[in-house]
Amino acid sequence: MAIKVGIPRALLYYEYYPMWRTFLEELKVEVVLSDKTTKPILNDGVRHCVDEACLPVKLFHGHVMNIKDKVDYLFVPRLKSVAKSEYICPKFCGLPEMVKYSMSDLPPIIDSEVNLRKSKSQLYQSFYRVGKLFSNNTYEIKKAYHNALKKQAEFINQVRQGKYPIEIIENQKIYANGKENLCIALIGHVYNIYDQYISMDILSKLCQQGIKVITPELLNEEMIEYKANCLPKKMFWSFGKRLMGSILHLLDMDNIDGIIYIMSFGCGIDAFVSDLCERKIRREKNLPFFLLTLDEHSGEAGVNTRLEAFIDMIRWRNRNESNISVHG
Amino acid sequence: MNTYYLGIDIGSVSTNLVLLDKHSKIYKKLYIRTQGQPINALKEGLKTLKQDFSENFKIAGVGTTGSGRQLGAVIVGADIIKNEITAHAVAALDYCPDVRTILEIGGQDSKIIIIKDGIVYDFAMNTVCAAGTGSFLDRQASRLGIPIQEFGKYALKSTTPVRIAGRCAVFAESDMIHKQQTGQNIEDIINGLCEALVRNYLNNLGKGKEILEPILFQGGVAANIGIVKAFEKELGKKIIIPEYFDVMGAVGAAILAKEKVMKTEKTNFYGFDLINREYKARSFECQDCSNICEVVEILSDSEPVARWGDRCGKWNVIENRSETSA
Repeated sequence: MAIKVGIPRALLYYEYYPMWRTFLEELKVEVVLSDKTTKPILNDGVRHCVDEACLPVKLFHGHVMNIKDKVDYLFVPRLKSVAKSEYICPKFCGLPEMVKYSMSDLPPIIDSEVNLRKSKSQLYQSFYRVGKLFSNNTYEIKKAYHNALKKQAEFINQVRQGKYPIEIIENQKIYANGKENLCIALIGHVYNIYDQYISMDILSKLCQQGIKVITPELLNEEMIEYKANCLPKKMFWSFGKRLMGSILHLLDMDNIDGIIYIMSFGCGIDAFVSDLCERKIRREKNLPFFLLTLDEHSGEAGVNTRLEAFIDMIRWRNRNESNISVHG
Repeated sequence: MNTYYLGIDIGSVSTNLVLLDKHSKIYKKLYIRTQGQPINALKEGLKTLKQDFSENFKIAGVGTTGSGRQLGAVIVGADIIKNEITAHAVAALDYCPDVRTILEIGGQDSKIIIIKDGIVYDFAMNTVCAAGTGSFLDRQASRLGIPIQEFGKYALKSTTPVRIAGRCAVFAESDMIHKQQTGQNIEDIINGLCEALVRNYLNNLGKGKEILEPILFQGGVAANIGIVKAFEKELGKKIIIPEYFDVMGAVGAAILAKEKVMKTEKTNFYGFDLINREYKARSFECQDCSNICEVVEILSDSEPVARWGDRCGKWNVIENRSETSA
């Protein structure tokens, strides 16, 4: 029987799942995913996580609870840095420890470190340490590694062509009516935007109303990089940089009607990146912008009111520009 | 026979009803405390409206707004359901077509709306925290044993400024108690609270926004003269309080209903007979999948008329909906 490795469906699952899964499966390991986020998973996460953590980290704990008894290993890599001279949020660096010491009766945790701050070549070492657990054959591990990278590249390519990451990794179609007359950018961390429970499925809510939604992942990465480097100081948080660069890139485009920034309560990076973004947007173009803070609320009314008002405002503005009629 | 448009704003603290005549003039307004029971408040309001009429009249259109807008719409049969921001802006523009800034503080929400060229140009709404809204002031007034109507007047009598932390309602309250215990004047403390709330509002919602005149202040809290003065002091600008400041959301809903009905030429209003019906709301957890949604069901004479709260949408469908309610 194949060894089972559990991957919590949270945090950077939305970013790296194709790569992780391919690598593990090439080594004949069975990958088990936790269920999609539900109320009990969130409740479990809140109960088992330190109080100070942000919502997505709490949720990660819930997902660990959800699969811990079904697997032989838990996959919680220690992601320190995924690009040269950059870091990931400190909570990711300590994630394996947070998980280990917050919950009991856990299977062994695979916490191989990924630190590409100095050089990209370190990535193979990170994978090799994982691979060694399941195979003694170096050639096999190397092959699995290359295939994993290939798969990840394919995934990124598909996203760039306009598919949302969850459409690929969860094989779920996001409804679009094909008659989009507005274009809104939805900016935020992957684990906030694509977790349909936590984000109250804003992505689908917008798409269903005939709105074309652009997320940072859909944008050209080189452009994001280029625009982010135009800032007076280099931003060393990889994901903060992506969000910031996306906003700056969007400001160069002509067809964007508004920008929504989703942040989770307690996120240190978002706390200042969102503010910086707002200032840039207001100074440079004054596009309609609003910041949505997610927390443990399950009441959708507040989110719906804000979304509704925001869309009303954009439509009202656009109509006014084309001089048709008033509100309605 | 006179025709009126009914605007309903079901908020966390108050439920407001407004009757607008054909020329968008306010014929009658009602301000009822919701007290956690929106359905009862709404029925009570409709009953009062009906009793007050001796003449023959007709409701030509109904609009609902406020956090209970969906609920209200189901009960009365609304022609339009609008969010509070749009409704407030519409009403403000009707009252003062040149308005540039709308400050609105209600029971649970506070908003700032920036108007440019007669349209909503930008807005902000308080995030997850309700510090500095009406319900908090309400609570402090009752804690101090002062009627809420008098609260603002106390602030005006203040002679020495007292600084209260306004960032969070919990901190503000402990700060107030602390100041009380050290023997500070109650008037000064209330004034300090008003200033703290205004500071918090402007820092949070007004951040990065240009607050230009004319400035309208709407929502129940505009009745608090202490807050109004604190705004004027902090902004150095004049604040205009519209005549019907406390029901502006309902006015906006009525105007929107009028516009809608002019297009559709019919109303969905169920008629005043609905006050004789028994309405009940109940909620349950759907156990059909792991989402465990909290589904709310509205019953009219023990017959379900609406449900919401489910993610998959299967409870939304109500079969054999009786036409008798129309």
